Amino acid sequence: MRMIKYFLLLALLLPLTATAATEIEISAPGEQRMPLALTTFLPTDGAAVDEIAAEINEVLNADLDLTGLFRFADPASFLSDAERIGLYSTQVDFAQWRLLGADLLVKGTYSLQGDQLVIEARLFDVVNRRLKSGRRYLGRSTDVRRMAHSFADQILKDLTGEIGPFSQRIAYVSKQTGNKELWLMDVDGHAPVRLTDHRSIVLNPDFSPLGKELTFTSYVANNPDLYRKEIYTGQEAKVSSRQGLNVAGRFAPIGREIAVTLTKDGNPEIYLISYSGAIHKRLTNNWAIDIDPSWSPDSGHLVFVSNRLGNPHLFTVNVYTGETRRLTTHGKYNVTPAWSPKGDRIAFARQSGGRFDLYSIKTDGSDERRLTFGPGNQEHPRWSPDGRFLVYSSDADGKKAIYVMRADGTGARRLTEAGDDSSHPAWSGRW
Amino acid sequence: MKIWRTLQYSLMVLALTSLLAACATTPPPSASTADGQGQVAATDVSQQPDVKGVDGSSMSSSGVSDHVAVKGLQRINFDFDQFTLTNAARVVLKQNAAYLQENSGVKVVIEGHCDDRGSDEYNLALGERRAAAAQQYLVSLGVSASRLSLISYGEEKPLVAQSDEQGWAQNRRAEFKAIR
Repeated sequence: MRMIKYFLLLALLLPLTATAATEIEISAPGEQRMPLALTTFLPTDGAAVDEIAAEINEVLNADLDLTGLFRFADPASFLSDAERIGLYSTQVDFAQWRLLGADLLVKGTYSLQGDQLVIEARLFDVVNRRLKSGRRYLGRSTDVRRMAHSFADQILKDLTGEIGPFSQRIAYVSKQTGNKELWLMDVDGHAPVRLTDHRSIVLNPDFSPLGKELTFTSYVANNPDLYRKEIYTGQEAKVSSRQGLNVAGRFAPIGREIAVTLTKDGNPEIYLISYSGAIHKRLTNNWAIDIDPSWSPDSGHLVFVSNRLGNPHLFTVNVYTGETRRLTTHGKYNVTPAWSPKGDRIAFARQSGGRFDLYSIKTDGSDERRLTFGPGNQEHPRWSPDGRFLVYSSDADGKKAIYVMRADGTGARRLTEAGDDSSHPAWSGRW
Repeated sequence: MKIWRTLQYSLMVLALTSLLAACATTPPPSASTADGQGQVAATDVSQQPDVKGVDGSSMSSSGVSDHVAVKGLQRINFDFDQFTLTNAARVVLKQNAAYLQENSGVKVVIEGHCDDRGSDEYNLALGERRAAAAQQYLVSLGVSASRLSLISYGEEKPLVAQSDEQGWAQNRRAEFKAIR
C-alpha cells in the first residue's frame, strides 16, 4: 500500500521534473553536468568478447568525459537493468536509473559474426523514459573505436544540437623518425600513421575545408616550399616554391584559396594564393614581419602576427578592404593565432617569463582570458571544428607532445607519447 | 679447371670493386675534400638524433643538402630577437668577404638560424632576416649578390641542444655554406 503511494507521488512529480530537464540547454562545460549512466555493452548472441565491450566503454567514457558536460554514475552501483539486453524504451527499467540519480542512460549491444561487427547503441532520457538517440553500426571488428566515437558525436548532437568532433582526425608534425614528418591520428591519439617520408623538415599542417587534403611546408627541395597532399591517394603537389619562405599555409574555409606567408620580395608578407599557387592578392605591405595567418569562419578576415609596432602582436585584416586593426594590447609576445570556427574568439600563445601559455580573446580585442598556467610551454593552439576544444602542443611532460583541452582551458590531457617530439596539431573537418 | 678458377677470382674482384665504387658514390657530406676549397668541417646533416624507425628501417636522414661548411667562412651570432649585425659579426663578415674575394668561384648559401624560444613561424621570418642582414653587408663589402643565396631554418636546426643562455646564444646565428 505504502509502495503504491510512493509510485503515485513519483508519477505526479516525474512529468514536472521531466519538462524542466529537457528545457535545459547544455552548451558550455562547467555550466552544469548531466548525470549519465554508461553501461557496458552486452553481446546479443554468441560468446561475449570482453575486449570489444571494454573498448566501446573506454572510448565513450573518454570522449564524453572530455566534453565536461557529464557526471558519470558509478558503475559499481548499477542494478539489474545494466545486465539486461532490452534496448526498447519499454524494456528499460528507468526507475532503477532514476534511483541512481542518472538523467541519461547509455546502453548497447554488440554482435561479432566472423569479422563482421554490429553495434546497437542507445541514449535514453531517463527522466522522460524515452529514447533520445538510437544508432546501429555495421563494420569490421577493427572499427570498434570508430563506431564508439561516432556514437559519442551523436550523443552531443542530440543533447546540444551540435555534432561532436570525435570521429575526425588530428594532423601534426612529429620527429619520432629523427626527421620532422607529417602524421595523422584519431582525436584521442590512437592509430598514429606517418603521412610523409621527406626525410627533411616538414612544418605546420592545415586541413582543407573540403575533402581529406592537407597543406604543409617542407624543406625537401632545399627551400621551405608549400605543398598540398591528398591523404588517401598520398599524392603530393608543390603549391608555392618561390624564393624564400613559403610557410604557414591556411586553407580558406570558404572558396578555394590559401593564405600563406611569402618572402619572395625580401620581407615576410601575407598573400592569398590559389590551390595551384597563383597569387590572387597581397594582404600586407609593411617593413615588419607579417606571418602566421588564420581565417575567420566566413573567410572575410584573417588574424595574423606582426611586429610592426615593435613586439610580435596579433592584428586582424579585412580580406576585401585591407583594413588592418590591432587585436592584442597586453603582453609582449603574442603569436600563433587561431580563429574559432564559431567566429567568436581567437586563441593564441603568449610568451611571458620565458614560457608560452595559451590565451583566448574576443575578436574585438575584449575579454582576454588565460587558458593554461604551465608547467612548460603551451603552443600552437587549434580549434576543433565545433569550437568546443583546443588541441595544442606542450612540453610539460618533457619533449613536445600533443594535448587537448576544453576551450575554457579545463580538462587538459596528453594525446601523444611524451618522447615523440610532436607539435603543430590541426583538427580535421568532418571526416 | 684453371680457367674456371681465374674466372672465379676475377668475378670476386669485380664484385669487390663494384662494392667499393658503390661506397664511393655515396660519401657522407663531410668526407669529401675534393673541391679544393679548404678543409671541410662537419655539416649539420649529421646532427640528426637517433632514429626509432617506425617502418622498421634504420635509415636516418638522406642528405638534406649539398651545402658544405668551409673553414674560411665563419658563422656569426645575433642578440635575442635581433637581426642587426653586432660589431663582432661585422668583423667576421669582413673576413668572410675577404675569403670570398680570394675564392671567386665559390657560391654561398647563407643560413639564418634562431634559438628555440620564439614561435616557430616568427623565427622562420627572423632567421631569414638574419641571413639577409649578413648578405647585405657582404654585398656592401663588394661580394657579388649573385654568389649569395639565403635560406632560413628558424629554430629547426639548432647548433647545440642545451637550453640555457649559452646554448641560445650559440644557436642564434647565420652560417655560410659553400654550394657544390
